[in-house]
Amino acid sequence: MVDALKEARRILRSHGILIDARPDSRVFAYAEHKTSSGTYGQAGVIATSREELVNDRSSDDAVATAVREGWFRSRRAGRFWHRVLFEDRTTLQRYLDDHARFVHRVRWMVDPAARRRWDGDPWAIRRAVRHEQLERL
Amino acid sequence: MGTSTSAVGRLLPAISSLLRPPPEGELREYGGVSLVRRKRVIDVGCGDGRMALGCAPYASEVVGVDPDPSAIRLARAKARGLGAANVQFKVGVAQELPFPDGYFDVAILSWTL
Repeated sequence: MVDALKEARRILRSHGILIDARPDSRVFAYAEHKTSSGTYGQAGVIATSREELVNDRSSDDAVATAVREGWFRSRRAGRFWHRVLFEDRTTLQRYLDDHARFVHRVRWMVDPAARRRWDGDPWAIRRAVRHEQLERL
Repeated sequence: MGTSTSAVGRLLPAISSLLRPPPEGELREYGGVSLVRRKRVIDVGCGDGRMALGCAPYASEVVGVDPDPSAIRLARAKARGLGAANVQFKVGVAQELPFPDGYFDVAILSWTL
């Protein structure tokens, strides 16, 4: 990762901008149920898998190294939220089963009866994306 | 702070922009189109070209690089479909980019590091 940042610095002009954006594992993602009024309500939280937490820490370390070495300086950073939509709860669960980023089980905030009632309704995973704008020095 | 929305997932293709934020929303979060307007932009780890093609209407030149040849083929097809003449896609790795020193104004590593 440090090698990639070093190479990005090489191909950028002086004071050019590097955007680093990735899922923000410092916060939980949410399993959300779409209500009849069209809004989404939180029904559970979804943690990041241990392996991905390790990867994310490695990415953080690489960026910290690039700043410490004087290759870049941070200009701004932020977070936004993004909703991935699923046609029903089965599809959401299949996504969790197939993907490495999240743990496979939702930590539910609603009771099983409510979940069963909403099984066929649209669902979403609302996840955070962190980003940082780095200036090439 | 708003929440962007992407596609409904019945099937989840291996290469999918559908699970990522729409590029215009993502660009807005990073600082808006002024960040890439009339700039030379490289999207490292471009996948199927989601962000690169999102920058193309504003940038002077956009290059997308990804190690996955099938993703690059898909990105090229999308670029042709959109008539995006200022975008090129190359198979390559982030550690060895085939460009001269200081060539780009902006480098995007979106979900790459």
